[in-house]
Amino acid sequence: MRLELKGLTKRFGSFTADDDIDLVVEPGQIHAILGENGAGKSTLMNMLYGILQPTSGEILIDGEPVSFSGPGDAIAAGIGMVHQHFKLVGPFSVADNVQLGREHTRGAGVLSARAARQAVLDVSEQYGLRLDPDAICEDLPVGVQQRVEIVKALSGPETQLLILDEPTAVLTPAEIAELLQIMRNLAEAGTSILFISHKLKEVQAVADRVTVIRRGKVVAQLEPTASESEMASAMVGRAVSLRVDKTPAEPGEPRLEVKDLTVVSDAGVKVLDGLELTVRSGEIVGLAGVEGNGQTELARAILGLVKPDSGSIAVDGRDVHGRGPAKRIADGLGYIPEDRGRDGLVSEFSVAENLVLNQYRDEPFAKGGVVDAGAVRRRAVDSIAEFDIRTQSPEESASALSGGNQQKVIIAREFSRPRRFLVAAQPTRGVDVGASQFIHSRLVAERDTGTGILLISSELDEIYALADRIAVIYNGRIVGEVDPDTPREVIGRLMVGGSADAGPGPATDPDHPANDEHANGGDR
Amino acid sequence: MAVDTAPAPALVDDRAPARHVKAGAAYAVLGLLLVLAAVAWLGGRTTTIAFDRTLTDASWEAPTFGVVLGLGVLCAAAGAWMLVGLPQRRFKPASAVAVTAFALALLFWAYSQEGTVFRAESILAGALFLSMPYIFGALSGVVCERSGVINIGIEAQFLMGAFTGVLTANITGNIYAGMAAAMVAGSLSTMLLALLATKYQVNQVVVGVILNLLALGFTSFMYDQLKKADGFNDAFSVPVISWGPLADIPVLGPVLFQQKLFVYVGLLLVFVIWFLLYRTRWGLRTRAVGEHPAAADSMGVNVNRLRYWNVTAAGLIAGFGGAWFTLGNSLAFNKNMTAGLGFVALAVMIVGRWNPLGVLAGALIFGFTTQIARDLSAAGSGVPGEFLQMLPYAVTLVVVAGLIGKAKAPAADGVPYNPGDK
Ligand SMILES: Nc1ncnc2c1ncn2[C@@H]1O[C@H](COP(=O)(O)OP(=O)(O)O)[C@@H](O)[C@H]1O
Ligand SMILES: [Mg+2]
Repeated sequence: MRLELKGLTKRFGSFTADDDIDLVVEPGQIHAILGENGAGKSTLMNMLYGILQPTSGEILIDGEPVSFSGPGDAIAAGIGMVHQHFKLVGPFSVADNVQLGREHTRGAGVLSARAARQAVLDVSEQYGLRLDPDAICEDLPVGVQQRVEIVKALSGPETQLLILDEPTAVLTPAEIAELLQIMRNLAEAGTSILFISHKLKEVQAVADRVTVIRRGKVVAQLEPTASESEMASAMVGRAVSLRVDKTPAEPGEPRLEVKDLTVVSDAGVKVLDGLELTVRSGEIVGLAGVEGNGQTELARAILGLVKPDSGSIAVDGRDVHGRGPAKRIADGLGYIPEDRGRDGLVSEFSVAENLVLNQYRDEPFAKGGVVDAGAVRRRAVDSIAEFDIRTQSPEESASALSGGNQQKVIIAREFSRPRRFLVAAQPTRGVDVGASQFIHSRLVAERDTGTGILLISSELDEIYALADRIAVIYNGRIVGEVDPDTPREVIGRLMVGGSADAGPGPATDPDHPANDEHANGGDR
Repeated sequence: MAVDTAPAPALVDDRAPARHVKAGAAYAVLGLLLVLAAVAWLGGRTTTIAFDRTLTDASWEAPTFGVVLGLGVLCAAAGAWMLVGLPQRRFKPASAVAVTAFALALLFWAYSQEGTVFRAESILAGALFLSMPYIFGALSGVVCERSGVINIGIEAQFLMGAFTGVLTANITGNIYAGMAAAMVAGSLSTMLLALLATKYQVNQVVVGVILNLLALGFTSFMYDQLKKADGFNDAFSVPVISWGPLADIPVLGPVLFQQKLFVYVGLLLVFVIWFLLYRTRWGLRTRAVGEHPAAADSMGVNVNRLRYWNVTAAGLIAGFGGAWFTLGNSLAFNKNMTAGLGFVALAVMIVGRWNPLGVLAGALIFGFTTQIARDLSAAGSGVPGEFLQMLPYAVTLVVVAGLIGKAKAPAADGVPYNPGDK
C-alpha cells in the first residue's frame, strides 16, 4: 500500500497538535517517525486509524483520497495499529482479543471458539510470534501482551499498512530484537510500516526512511544512516550531547540498607527472597535485571506500599518498619514510580495539583489546612519552565499530557523538595532523547548534592550511563554487584541467573526467566 | 499456558493464606455453637418434614438433636480442616459444605418448634416463585453493567412495569397485552438512562436515582387518579401452568411443573442471556465495551451505540419483572409496592458476579430465605418477625463472605466513553 498524507492538520481547541503534515510511505517501506514527547506523533497516527478526525488535510491510499469515520473503516482499508497505550481487554483470552470486531462465527452470531483459536495460531505461525490463544491477557507479561497487539493488528483483512506507536517502550532487549526481525519480514512481504520509537538505535537498525516531527510540524527527512546525534538534534531543534558528564562518586554513609528482605505475593510466590542491598550517600546504584524479577516489589516495599514478610529496610539510618508512605516521604524519601499512570499521577487532577501531590499539606502550599491556590500555581509555573513541561496551562489535566511530559511532572515534583534518598524506577521509560538527557543530568546533579539514588531500569544503556555501582537482581535476590566497567555479556549472564564468570546460564529461555510471568501475575 | 511457560515457582506452603484462617476459625466457632445449642436446648425435639402437595399423607420425623449435632460437627470439622491447612483448590468445596451444614442446621432447629411443619413442596415452589423479581431485575442489571452502564433504576423499571402492566390488562382485558406493555414501559425508562448516559454523558448514578424518584412519583400520582374510577386497577391473575403427569412427581412436580408463566420466562432468560453473553458476537462485544471501551472502539465496535441499545433492551427484562408484582401475584397496583426489591436485585447481581448463572444462585438463596421467613412468621415460630425479615440479608452476608469473596465489576462500569480518549 502506498500511503500519502497531504497537509494533515489536527487542532484541539486553539492548540495545534499536528500542523500541515506531508508524508509518503511507499509499499514495503519501514518509515520511522521521530519526535519529542508531545510532538504530535500519536495524534497523527490516530487520524490515520480513524480514531480522530483531521481538522483539515487529506489521506490518500494508493492515490485515492479516503476518509475514515472510525477505526472500522481503517481496518477495512487494510490498516492495522498497535497503540502506545495497550488496547487489550484484560479478562479476555488472546483469541477473543484478536477476534473482537471481526468475530469468527458459525452463523447467527454464535462464536466459533475453534476458528478463533486457529486464526491466532495461523498468524502466530506465519510471522513467528509465539502465542497461546487461550491465555488470559491480563495474566501475561507486557512483552507477550505486546505480541498479542501485533497479532491483532496483523489479523485484519489483508493488513497492508501497520502502525506501531512506541511498541518497544516496555519490551526487553531480546523481545525488541525479535520485534525488529518481524518488522523486516513483514516489509519484505510488502507490508508498509509506520514505526514510532524514542530509541534511535532501533530506528537506525530497521528503518528505510526517517521523518522528524517537532511541535506538530515535519522538520526533517533523514536517511537511517544518519548518526544518533543528528537525529536527536533534529528532534530537539538544537545540538544535544548524548553523554552524561559525571565525576567519580564519593560515597558516604549508608542511606538505604535492605537486609534479608522477603516479600510473598498474594498468589503465594516469593517475589523477593532474602534480598540484601546498600546504597550510600552520593552514589547511584543501578539495579539491573529482566523485568518481573522483584524490582517492582522492592521499590514498593521501600516506599511502604508493600509489607515485607521478613527482613528490614532502613532509610537514612532509621528502620522504617511501621512507618507509612506519607511519613517516609516526609523523612526525605523520594520516589519515581515505574507505572506513572497508576502510582505517579492523579490523571484527572491538573498539572499544578500533581506537582504538589506530596507537599500540599505543608507550607507554603497550605496555610491552616487550606490549600493556597496561588502558591500552588506559582510553583507550577516555575516547574513548567524549569523542567520544560509541554502543557497548555498549569490547569490542564495531567491525562491530556503526552507520556514523556507526564514523566517530567513527576520528576519535577520529586526534585523540588529536599530529600535524602531517591528511588528512581524506569525514570525515562517512553521519554524522548532530549528529555531523557535532561532527566539523567538531573539525577547526576542530585547525586552530587549527596543524595543516595537507587536506579531501577530495564535498559542496560541507562544503567551504564548513570550507575556508580551495578547490582543485578534475579528471582528476587541480588545475584551480583559489579563495577560499571563490567562487560555487558557478564551482566547479561547474571540477569538470567548465570554466574559472572561461568558459561551460559541455566536452561531457561533468557527473555522469559522463570519468575517473570508469575511475579507479574501475582502483583495484579 | 503452553507457550512461555517456565517452571512454576515454589508455593510457600508453611502458612495458610489469611482468608483460610479467618473463614476456618469462623466455621469452627459456628459449628461448635451449634453443638452447644443442640446439647442445651434441642434434646427430645423433632423436626417434621411433609410433602404437602403430592404425597399428602406421608411425613417424616427427624430427631432435631441428632441432626443439628451432626451438622454442627460437620461445619466445625470443615473449619478445623481449613485451619490446619487444606489445599487451595479445596477451599471452595469445604466452605460450601460448612455453609450448607450451618444453614441446614438452623432450618432443622427453626422447624423443631411445637406445631411447625416443614412443608417441603410448598416452600420450595414458593421460593422459586419469590426469586423471580430478583432474577429479572438482576439480569437487566447484568446486561446494562456488562455494557458499562450502571443502572440503579431497576426499582423505577419495576414500578413502571407493575403499574403499566395492570393498567393495560384492565384496558384491553388481556393479561398478555399487560405483560407486553410492562416491558415497553420498563424499556422507555431505561432508554432515557441510555440516552443521557451515552449521548450526554450525564452521571449514571444520578440519572438512576432520579429515575427511581420519578417513577415512584408518577405511579403514585396515577394510582390516586385512577382510584377515582372503576375498572383501571383491578387485579388480574395469571394461570398456573400444569404439565400434566409431570406435575405429580414428588418435590419436582410442584416446584418445576406447576408454576406461573413468569417462572418459566425467568429460568429461560437466565440461560439465554448466559448463552448470548458468553457464546455470541453480541456478547463478546458487550463485555468488551463494558471492560475496555477504547479497545472495542479501536477494533471498529461502535461503543455508544451498543451501550444505548443494550440498556434499552435491558429495560424490557426489568419491566417484565415489574409485571410480576401485580399480574404475577394477582394483585392490583399499590403505591411503592416494589418495596425496594429493585435494590435487592442489584445486590443479587453483584452476589452473582455479573454472571447470569450466579444471578440465578443468588436469587434462589434470596427467594428461599424470604419464603422461610414468611412461612415461619405465619406458623408463629418463637423468632421475632423483625429477625425473620433480616434473614435473607444475613444469609447473603454469610454466603458472600464465605463462598464468593471479592466481586469485581466490569472495569468500565459507569464510565462514559468519548472516542479519542487514551
Ligand atoms: N484529546 C486531546 N485533547 C487535547 N490535547 C491533546 C489530546 N490528545 C493529545 N493532545 C495534545 O497534543 C499533543 C500531541 O500529543 P501526542 O500526539 O500524544 O504526542 P506524541 O508525539 O508524544 O505521541 C500533546 O501536547 C498533547 O497534550
Ligand atoms: Mg505518543
